[in-house]
Amino acid sequence: MGVDIIFKIAAIGILISVTNQILKHSGKDELATLTTLAGVVIVLFMIVDMVSKLFITIKDLFSLY
Amino acid sequence: MEVFKLIGIGILVCITVVVVKQVKPEFAILITISSSIIMFFMIIGYVDNIMVVFDKIISNTNINMDLFKVVLKIVGVGYLIEFAANLCIDSGSPAIADKIILGGKLVILSLCMPIINSLLDVILGLLV
Repeated sequence: MGVDIIFKIAAIGILISVTNQILKHSGKDELATLTTLAGVVIVLFMIVDMVSKLFITIKDLFSLY
Repeated sequence: MEVFKLIGIGILVCITVVVVKQVKPEFAILITISSSIIMFFMIIGYVDNIMVVFDKIISNTNINMDLFKVVLKIVGVGYLIEFAANLCIDSGSPAIADKIILGGKLVILSLCMPIINSLLDVILGLLV
């Protein structure tokens, strides 16, 4: 649960936008949207993992069964 | 002190969100979610200590234990609802946040039912 995850996601976002610019200028617009989608899906996997950890912790802490 | 770390990370994340929002708006929300989870895990130690103290107090005074359990559940539900609702408001959909808050209120009300029943029993016992 380090702070580096935040900057990892930010880096992925910026990387995706750069690849989009490249793809747009080389004329492949539909690929750009696909790369954005792929980036969002990757980051969502990381986020879902963190959210499940959060819910498990809260369930244990407040005995919310 | 944990407070300075929290404030530092909070400001840092705000700046990161502003930067990424211009470049790629989808990731701004994802960064907000992940940072709020990370900051929660930073302060979880304090909640543990408070729980231990409360348990000791409750066990000394012979208050009914499951009343305290219900209060604990309500606090947990309240935190989760507030977490999700603020996230929805940040991502620009207050209508969904209101639905979550409504749901949370109903869940908390349903959790309170046993307390209300026991309260009524006590009162009726006094009156009879």
